[in-house]
Amino acid sequence: MKTVRLGAGSGYWGDMIESATTLAKHGDLDYMGFDFLAELTMSLLQGAKRRDPSKGYIPDVVPWMRQLLPITHERGTRMILNGGGVNSPAAGEAVAAEIRRADLDRVRLGIIEGDDLTDRIPELRAAGVPLVNLDTGDTDFDSIADRVVSAHAYVGSESIVEALEQGAEVVIGGRLADSALYVGPLAHEFGWTPDSGQWDAIGAAVTIAHVIECAGICCGGMSSQWKDVPDPWNIGFPIAEVSEDTSAVISKVEGTGGLINQWTIKEHLLYETHDPADYRMPDGIADLTTVRVEEIGANQVRISDMTGRERPDQLKVQIGYTDGWIAEGRVLIPWPDTLEKADRCEEFIRRRLEIIGIEPREIRFDRVGVDALGGSMISRPSSDPEEIEVRVAARVETRAEADAIRRELTHFTTAGPVGTAFGAQMKAREVIALWPTLVPRHLVPTNVAVEEVTRRAHIAS
Amino acid sequence: MPTLLHDLAYTRSGDKGDVSNVGIMAKGSEEYKMLRAAVTPAALKRFFGDLVTGEVHVYELPRIESLQVVMYGALGGGATQTLRFDETGKSMAALMSRFPIGGDDDEQ
Repeated sequence: MKTVRLGAGSGYWGDMIESATTLAKHGDLDYMGFDFLAELTMSLLQGAKRRDPSKGYIPDVVPWMRQLLPITHERGTRMILNGGGVNSPAAGEAVAAEIRRADLDRVRLGIIEGDDLTDRIPELRAAGVPLVNLDTGDTDFDSIADRVVSAHAYVGSESIVEALEQGAEVVIGGRLADSALYVGPLAHEFGWTPDSGQWDAIGAAVTIAHVIECAGICCGGMSSQWKDVPDPWNIGFPIAEVSEDTSAVISKVEGTGGLINQWTIKEHLLYETHDPADYRMPDGIADLTTVRVEEIGANQVRISDMTGRERPDQLKVQIGYTDGWIAEGRVLIPWPDTLEKADRCEEFIRRRLEIIGIEPREIRFDRVGVDALGGSMISRPSSDPEEIEVRVAARVETRAEADAIRRELTHFTTAGPVGTAFGAQMKAREVIALWPTLVPRHLVPTNVAVEEVTRRAHIAS
Repeated sequence: MPTLLHDLAYTRSGDKGDVSNVGIMAKGSEEYKMLRAAVTPAALKRFFGDLVTGEVHVYELPRIESLQVVMYGALGGGATQTLRFDETGKSMAALMSRFPIGGDDDEQ
């Protein structure tokens, strides 16, 4: 039976490059996917692009491709990345430069665009798209319309498949859904395309993609099994060997750290998937309730019996808009009387804010080491801890107010109790709030351009 | 003394916007039965108190003997705007591990 070997080379912007190069060298891979994007990333990258039109892609793409291209080119492994961020063409130019630097010949590079809707919002609204907030049900888009900084659709794998059909060895896009990075090659190899109507197979592809798309996080990373996970500092990234019958074996390169067993795969099937019978991705809907998970060897888990349903007609779109500022600061309080000093700190800040006339939209005091994570679920300790870090976070309308609140923490160290330690305070940060919504698929066409990067072109230019 | 969820299951949490999810994996079939009975939306709302302001859903995955808990309004506005230290709610899984199972009554 035909099998295809997929590897995950990155699960987030800032992931471990050594794990990626080990996987590329020893994973015997047909394809490698690289996810670099989180919910806020596109807004941050839009800001970078506004300041410099040659930016807006994930800067890590350059060092990663520099290290990986010589390895993958020699082995015939094709790479798919969403590190194009909000500027895939610029990422493409940077990667082309790396191809030339490595003196590789005839590398086909596919660049995907079409997911960026930042400048198309008025047009979409004119076409009757209501842009209702998916999480809150809020229909008043006008309330944020003039503060929008980014709008991006999570797009599926059609353009990836097209690029692969045109022989692309490296495919770079923007807000390609994480799952699309892996559904694309499977659709290309096995014909699991929307036209084929093989929704169970596509559901299986979405499920397999979900399991590996966070890289080390299905291999004992961020794991409930952490005590049993060997050498996490050398964590192996996952390989999915996918069979034509839609089952897959998840494994990793022998000798790497990390752990793959039923628990690490189950915890990842559950990770951020919400209603398990209705895991919606642009390429199809996966039903995670039918999946079978079997340990078949050391660090080898087989997943099978996946099912799915037809892809949704609408794509999820994440809109980012500015919504005030956050000031955050911390002081470290030593024993004795740690609890009482922490109370004094809170009272001090509240009184000072009254005096300087700032009323935050929201303010929060944490006693780090006591209740910063558990909040009201945690009862007050019966004895004084050795140390308490008091953390103050406040949401205000302007940067000036945010800076003023941070200054009050230094006033606490000088006007408050003896022994209060202060480090470098954090900078105020602008809030980019998110407005998730839906846009009909037919209004978000993507396109791909495949070009061949050759030595000759380099010499000629 | 009630048993803690920690003794019966493994947990791990994640975020999407202001929605927190906690995956609960039973350590065995008996444990899965006990969890299904005890981990209800109403009990979870009581347990998390003001940390969760919205609806709570509990989904069952019998083939992997796991529950998926999805809680709305659970992250102080979501990673990009929350004032919480734990912006992405990774620690919700740890808080969940203290959820009481059984005991004399349903109260905490």
